[in-house]
Amino acid sequence: MSGYSIETTHLTRKFGAFTAVDGIDVKVAAGEVFGFLGANGAGKTTAIRMLCGLLVPTSGSGTVAGFDIIRESAQIRTRIGYMSQKFSLYPDLTVAQNLKLYGRLYGLGKADLKNRIQSMSDFLGLGPLLDKVTGELPWGWQQRLSLACANLHSPKILFLDEPTGSVDPVSRRNFWDLIHQLSGQGTTVFITSHYMDEVEYCHRLSIMIDGRIAAMGTPRALKTEHACASIHELFLKLMETNSLPATRSAP
Amino acid sequence: MNLRRLLAISRKEIRHILRDWQTLAVVLVMPVMMMFLYGYALNADAKDIPVMIEAPDLGPEVRTLIDKIDASQMFKVAGVIPVVDDAGELFKLYGIHALFRFPPGFSADLRRSGGAHAQVLIDGSDPNIGTMIRNAAEPMLLGATLQVMNIRQPKVLDLRSLVLYNPDQRSALFFVPGLMALILLMISALLTSIAITREKELGTMGQMLVSPLRPLEIIAGKIIPYIFLATLDGLLILVVGYLAFGVRIAGNPWLLGACSLVYVFTALSIGLMISTIAKRQQHAMFIALGATLMPTVLLSGFIFPVASMPIFLRTVSQVIPATYFLEIVRGIILKGVGLDVLWKPVAILAGEGALLTAISLRKFKVKL
Repeated sequence: MSGYSIETTHLTRKFGAFTAVDGIDVKVAAGEVFGFLGANGAGKTTAIRMLCGLLVPTSGSGTVAGFDIIRESAQIRTRIGYMSQKFSLYPDLTVAQNLKLYGRLYGLGKADLKNRIQSMSDFLGLGPLLDKVTGELPWGWQQRLSLACANLHSPKILFLDEPTGSVDPVSRRNFWDLIHQLSGQGTTVFITSHYMDEVEYCHRLSIMIDGRIAAMGTPRALKTEHACASIHELFLKLMETNSLPATRSAP
Repeated sequence: MNLRRLLAISRKEIRHILRDWQTLAVVLVMPVMMMFLYGYALNADAKDIPVMIEAPDLGPEVRTLIDKIDASQMFKVAGVIPVVDDAGELFKLYGIHALFRFPPGFSADLRRSGGAHAQVLIDGSDPNIGTMIRNAAEPMLLGATLQVMNIRQPKVLDLRSLVLYNPDQRSALFFVPGLMALILLMISALLTSIAITREKELGTMGQMLVSPLRPLEIIAGKIIPYIFLATLDGLLILVVGYLAFGVRIAGNPWLLGACSLVYVFTALSIGLMISTIAKRQQHAMFIALGATLMPTVLLSGFIFPVASMPIFLRTVSQVIPATYFLEIVRGIILKGVGLDVLWKPVAILAGEGALLTAISLRKFKVKL
């Protein structure tokens, strides 16, 4: 076992002639909050889908929680939590029913399920909402519920695909506080975003441009290395220097 | 295959079904409603069709014939007119469906040479009624005329028909199997394909695929509640068929149940197939209606006999599961036959289901 939560070697995925992810090498340590940045269509979601075992790489390899992403995706799935950019829980079920469903899917027993729902709803303040129908909650709360469902089975690694899209700044700030608390408890958080201001909260981050990783490191080191005042500035600078002349489109 | 995960999915699916009570009500009320609609609308005996008579000469023979027409169950004489100028006007004005015309000298012709001419004009705008009138008019008038003239027809051929399996030709025996084929297909193919595409639309399908769930567990878990719903509707049709229309099952009811489950399996495989193609619920609904319900109603032999179809449509009807299911249900309910006779349609249904399921599961995995 490599000791890294996530490790990829020349991970590549092609869709026909289009290379969505082009030989990326990423290493993420346990308990780290890793920001996986890039513009829309840069290949972030494709990379996450490969790490979660939803998509088979064209070439290259990788491990997640020490398991091979091609051959051992079943083992990986029990150890990760995934929250997609789109709200994807059942709007017609209550908050408690959604939580119970996900707990059962991950094999939590009755007692475990009860404890975890209790501690997750304490942690995220969902307690008073347990019997409310999910679809009637405001966005911010739906998103917290998504996080609760993804985290209910205490995964080693949380994949958050643009979790803060269309959320107001205060909720976003709260969300990052939650993420750091989880990281403090030893959960690795792999988060994609295109909000360049918030990713300063990450321990380390990578910037993906046209399927390749253009820069990787701690926010501070990256800014110093490229002489930029902010990650936002760095991102624009990298976009100018690294972009291919041909326009690319997402698959 | 993990039973706990599968049951978690089923439990959730049942919640969706119960939460959406309007759909549930439609699913439970519709079969009963359709049975009563078919039961009364399909009644083949037309009664008291309004007709008129044109008779310039009202001799005793003609008068007797008019009385016979009026006394028949089928016709009701709305009026007798000596001379009709514009027959079309009569049809439009009085809403009659036929006009019997006895020319002047009809009675005299009958008496003299023993051969007279008459005419019947038939409203063909409703082909069913038109055909019925045409088939009934000649034998009825001929019989009445012979009676009037006291002629006994010499016996040349005595053909006696005896109808087996449905001696009274009751339409309930005909539509109960058809409705079973239709309703079971609707629940299994239409509702499941919608339920699966809904998860795609919601994004919950992706969420489940990153969990330890296997595709087979997701599908089986979602399908199980619909199998129960289909069973419930099947029973409902049989119970209402028995109580309201007196339809008894001549054969083994357990065999009927088992064969129905095979048919449900085939229908589910169609639903699965549709959900691998459709991206949206509406999309799934239109494919399901077009690809399953329409051919079932029109081509399975439910309403129109397969034997009278052109070869191309007959070939199509050979692929439709309902064609075989109808054969099975009619066989068990009406004839009381067993698996020794019905093994072939059962095997075809099972084979079609297995093939479609295999293809769909493959497509489901390839998508990943």
